[in-house]
Amino acid sequence: MEPSAQPILDVRNLSVAFNSGPRQITPVRDVSFSIYPGQTVALVGESGCGKSVTALSILRLIPSPPGRVVQGTVGFGGRDLLSLPEPEMRGVRGGKIAMIFQEPMTSLNPVYSIGEQIAEAIVLHQRVKTAQAYEIAEQALRDVGIADPARRLQEYPHVLSGGMRQRVMIAMALSCRPQLLIADEPTTALDVTIQAQILELLRKLQRETGMAILLITHDLGVVAENADVVNVMYASRIVESAAVEDLFDRPMHPYTAGLFRSVPKLGARAERLAAIPGTVPNPAQFPGGCKFHPRCARARELAARAAAEATTEIMSDGESFRVPRRCASEEPLLREMEPRHWAACHQVAGYDEKPPTEPRIEHKRASVVQVDGEVTA
Amino acid sequence: MTSSTATSVMTGAKAPAARPRSLMAIVLRDTVSQLGARLAVAWIGLLILGAVFGPFIANSFPLIARVDGRWESPMWRYLVPTDVVLLVVFIATIILCGVRQMTVPVKVGIVIWLLALVIPLALWAVLARDLSWYRHEYGTGLVVISLGVAFGLDLAVLVLVPLKLPLSSRQWTILGLFAAALTGILVLHPVKPPTTIIYDQYRELGRAGRMQFSLPAPVPYSPTDRLRDQPDAQLLAPDTRHWMGTEINGADVFSRMIHASRVALAIGFIATGIAIVAGCAVGGVMGYFSGRVDMLGMRLLEIFEAIPTLFLLISCVAFFGRSLYLVMVIIGLTSWSGYARFVRAEFLRLRNQDFVLAAIAAGLPLRSVLFRHMLPNGLVPVLVSASFGVASAILSESVLSFLGLGLIDEPSWGDLLNQATGQGGTFTWWLAVFPGLAIFLTVFSYNLIGEALRDALDPKLRDGASD
Repeated sequence: MEPSAQPILDVRNLSVAFNSGPRQITPVRDVSFSIYPGQTVALVGESGCGKSVTALSILRLIPSPPGRVVQGTVGFGGRDLLSLPEPEMRGVRGGKIAMIFQEPMTSLNPVYSIGEQIAEAIVLHQRVKTAQAYEIAEQALRDVGIADPARRLQEYPHVLSGGMRQRVMIAMALSCRPQLLIADEPTTALDVTIQAQILELLRKLQRETGMAILLITHDLGVVAENADVVNVMYASRIVESAAVEDLFDRPMHPYTAGLFRSVPKLGARAERLAAIPGTVPNPAQFPGGCKFHPRCARARELAARAAAEATTEIMSDGESFRVPRRCASEEPLLREMEPRHWAACHQVAGYDEKPPTEPRIEHKRASVVQVDGEVTA
Repeated sequence: MTSSTATSVMTGAKAPAARPRSLMAIVLRDTVSQLGARLAVAWIGLLILGAVFGPFIANSFPLIARVDGRWESPMWRYLVPTDVVLLVVFIATIILCGVRQMTVPVKVGIVIWLLALVIPLALWAVLARDLSWYRHEYGTGLVVISLGVAFGLDLAVLVLVPLKLPLSSRQWTILGLFAAALTGILVLHPVKPPTTIIYDQYRELGRAGRMQFSLPAPVPYSPTDRLRDQPDAQLLAPDTRHWMGTEINGADVFSRMIHASRVALAIGFIATGIAIVAGCAVGGVMGYFSGRVDMLGMRLLEIFEAIPTLFLLISCVAFFGRSLYLVMVIIGLTSWSGYARFVRAEFLRLRNQDFVLAAIAAGLPLRSVLFRHMLPNGLVPVLVSASFGVASAILSESVLSFLGLGLIDEPSWGDLLNQATGQGGTFTWWLAVFPGLAIFLTVFSYNLIGEALRDALDPKLRDGASD
């Protein structure tokens, strides 16, 4: 597909804060990324890194109070979604940007039939009569590969399986032909064969409609098979942003590298799976400097080599460790280390020469990427 | 089932073999499949029959009579607008229950529309007759304004409801014919009961030999028939003529019992209805917006919970006079806080449910999110507690009547119970046992239904239908 010059969604410096008791926590800080038409952009990270909050704030769905967007813009079709009046925002939600959720078992309202739920949104956004809406809904169910859609329309969610419900959710999301689909861990709750079917379905529908997808996941396999551009999030920030081939080929941020090491490989013999030591920090007490430095193997290695540049830190469990002073004091920003490849780590070669910039990657994959880093045609 | 369902009529698709059951339908079926609940529903059904067909079952006037060679139905002639409205709505509801092509909200819409049609038609003759009395009593301005407002609201319902009803042209035709027939009958034979009611009239005619034929009601006494033509009719013990004896003024107790079921049902349903509507509105807003709104709402609830209902009822009755509607409104307005708490808790839970988030993400307006998607899912505990609420409303009314602050001249179980103990310390057992049993059975029935509803809903919630 020929890439167009204008991104369909342009998130700039988005920060979201939650009031939690007397303290204020910031689960999303300075997040910037763009999505071009027809592109699949992945947002990858562990639980609690802020990827779902990012997705929800694009549609202004974070519960407020306690949450609120403290800075940033979400450009969509030349307008900032964050300052759009609520009635216009309702037209965007479901109409231009649709969203599917992680738990298909609870994403459908148990008291209404499938048809009633799909038709309600169609009537709202496409201004058609109920009878027509049911026809569109029937076609939408057929498009997502549900057999006997006319009968399914009249059934209630509790008789459907998880995979079936996720198909219904996708049908509902796509029935209004959105320009962007936000898929918040669409396959996490499904078993593996169904996962593959759902992802294949999303790819097929994307080819047919040309919509863009924001894919939120923690599954690197899903990323490798589906994404064009990957944003790796760690503790509220994007730490690496790159075209999928480049990222899997040359991960720059130690966190990304650690993630790849922790994926089990077929054929490789290992006693234990490599894991990133430590745990994801609590958003209420993020460490200073680079948020990854307490867990960063590269930082400790460098500190051991250049002892004069290092500082000693003590963790809450009493363990002490040494890291480069800069990692502990200065928050690294994203810099374009290579074309289409941004990273935020002081210790990447050549980091200081580059100016901090916001990533915009207009890239569409032409190949299948494998998790172990090899790109195959 | 051979008929196609509503949606497939719309889409023109082939009719499915069986209509898929909604969660609500399954819950309802599970509820009535329990023996206790079945007996309870049967008892409530009996009460409903008594409330609707009271004038047919217990009436001093014969159902059909031939007086001086002329056939007539004195019972019909003495029907009041309430009787007629109840009868029409009951028949329409029975017919609609048999129709399978419509969803429940559509059926409710049709019943509301019929109510808006029948109430003014049944009322106009009585209103026209009593208009000068009302004007004298309340002043022309007030009468004109209140009639205008009532008529305007009624017209709005009559016009707006059909616009929202998704009926096929065939269904419209049937409904239209039914409505036209009803209008015709009520205009040609207006509901216009005689102003002076002489209950002895037909008994005198019978004794004088002027009645060639008469088909009396099964219980041939009206609830307010004091049996003035029969000497010493007061406080007769049960016998073959008066199955449950007579009360202090000589009226038949069985007849009063039957007619009192209307008051018992009305007070339960209307007071609880007011409470549920108020509770859902306040609780829903509190739960959805939470934060400061929730805090203020909670304080409001605490204020209302601090009001002692019974004392408020007693003072209001003393101040404004005795009125069934006043009692309903007061019971309703003081008992909504419990429902509000339930709905608030449910909304706080539902707010974080994916399907609510999905509904907002689909761009649905707040109204739809709150009332279409959240409320039906949060109504479950409300329905359970409502069945207990109906029971307690009936008890409140009985207590009020027992204290002698109930309705004047209207039959009520509590009022009968009150008469069981006379001034001289006498105790009349039939005035204690029968109404007491009726109150007990009714309250017990509602409690049984509430329990069964709770049991039916529990496994569904656990099975992950909404959790």
